Amino acid sequence: MTSLRGPFLLVMVLFAAAPLYGLLKISLSPPAEVMTAHPTLVPHGLTGRHWQRVLDSGQIGAPLRKSLLVAGGATVLALLLAGPAAYSLVQLPLRWRYGILTGLFLCRMLPEVSVAMPIAVVFLRWGLMDTALGLTLAHLPMALPVAAWVLTAAFGNIPRDVEEAAALDGCNLWRTLAYVIIPLALPGVIVAALLVWLLSWEEFVLATYLTLGDKTMPLQVYYYLYQGNAFVTAVAAVIMTAPVLLLSALLQRFIRETSLAGVVR
Amino acid sequence: MRRPYALGLPVFHTPRLRSLTRYAGLCLGLAPLTLYLAALTLVPVVSTLLLSLQTPQGEWGLGAYRAITSHYQFGEAVANTLLVTALGLSLELALGLAAALALAGGGAALGWVRVALLVPLGVPTIVAASAMLYIFGTAGYLNEVLYRLGVIDLPIDWTGSRWRAVVTVAVADAWKVTPLVMLILLAGLQAIPRQLYEAARTDGATPWQQFARITLPLLRPAITMALIVRGVDAFRIFALPLALTGRNLPVLSTYAYVEYLEYGNPHTAAASSTLLLLMILMAVAAYLKLAGREEVLR
Repeated sequence: MTSLRGPFLLVMVLFAAAPLYGLLKISLSPPAEVMTAHPTLVPHGLTGRHWQRVLDSGQIGAPLRKSLLVAGGATVLALLLAGPAAYSLVQLPLRWRYGILTGLFLCRMLPEVSVAMPIAVVFLRWGLMDTALGLTLAHLPMALPVAAWVLTAAFGNIPRDVEEAAALDGCNLWRTLAYVIIPLALPGVIVAALLVWLLSWEEFVLATYLTLGDKTMPLQVYYYLYQGNAFVTAVAAVIMTAPVLLLSALLQRFIRETSLAGVVR
Repeated sequence: MRRPYALGLPVFHTPRLRSLTRYAGLCLGLAPLTLYLAALTLVPVVSTLLLSLQTPQGEWGLGAYRAITSHYQFGEAVANTLLVTALGLSLELALGLAAALALAGGGAALGWVRVALLVPLGVPTIVAASAMLYIFGTAGYLNEVLYRLGVIDLPIDWTGSRWRAVVTVAVADAWKVTPLVMLILLAGLQAIPRQLYEAARTDGATPWQQFARITLPLLRPAITMALIVRGVDAFRIFALPLALTGRNLPVLSTYAYVEYLEYGNPHTAAASSTLLLLMILMAVAAYLKLAGREEVLR
């Protein structure tokens, strides 16, 4: 058993890395290496031509801006909504806390296609269709349970005594929050923010339903893919993946600092 | 459990008023989130349900359901959804369990392997789809590798037949989410007390016996959790079949999407969305019941 561990893990790492390597390679490869019956596995030549073409096309700036705006907005709003809720949840008895969080997660199990259509109808009426604000509001429901869960865990990890000591020292709610609770829960707050950002950045279904012309990054990648140009698709896909890899690295660092076990303490 | 102040507002000193302010404070904290969530999930789901029970003329009835169930693509969509889910979940559970077991006993030296294995989880689904398109394309990397290894002479059209398309979509899905299953199972593995294995070894249990009699039974809650979380997502799969096969592999979500955005029929779209919702609820309820009964039997 043990002797199989190394080779198996190696294969799994290759399995995980190969598709991303393929994307990066195609985005930098001369067409002759890709558009053939026998594509090369290692790059023989490199070209920045596809990158040049995508960056000069003027088609990538707007989706990038919209996606950044939506993901950033969703992150801020999710923290503002889930923060107070999580802080309240921590004061509740365990049964209630657990029950409410489960209820929130049940909302995430609903099919997006059921949710998206009526939202699209209402947004059309309210003029929110195709806007960054509309999509931000639509992305929140899927992010809120995650944010509430992580923040509840983070707040739950803070010993009661610390808060009570702050209260005895004359801190009111806001001072306690600003100087005690939030600094202590900061790794958890960062984890919640990163998770929400990542969820919104890659969201596809709601974006499809709520977009007429102003595409987000996922829709732009899908558009290139649908057109069938392997190179520009690969470039757009790499652009979309770069921030994800950076933030995932940050996420792993902060997840280690926060314990999600606090939610059931 | 009682706190001396309500959300930091210790104004009243009689117990009754104090608990009242505390209650008000908690509601104030929880209300925005729950109301918002309900308004943007439960309300739309109910209005989709109502829409599915109406005809375009505004009469009530099951016309929309009759229309989709007699449509040949709908049956296909249901079958495809179930097939992709079954195959994808099997793959994810097998690979996730193997990876979790390999990592659990490996210690800190495997930290970077764990980080590397988690990478696909963060990769956007549409990016995963584009990458898979180049792997499973007719002139893609999988065919090239198989050709060089001498397994095939002629390229295989991986999304050509329905069965191959199901396999392709399931593998693409497994690529992205196996890390999640691995994480859930890894947490489950770490919760199993070491002493059990020591006792089993003292009694002369083989590694296989330890796995079958200790690891697997005690891992059951984690497996249940992984199956539910992943099963619900797999039922709702959307971007991968759309991007990988175009319209060749309809699943329930893409069926609803095509009915609404291409054919402009919100009623049939609502009916198929509602059936998808029913499938999800039934699967979760059935699985929880089944898992609960086994718990009692043991």
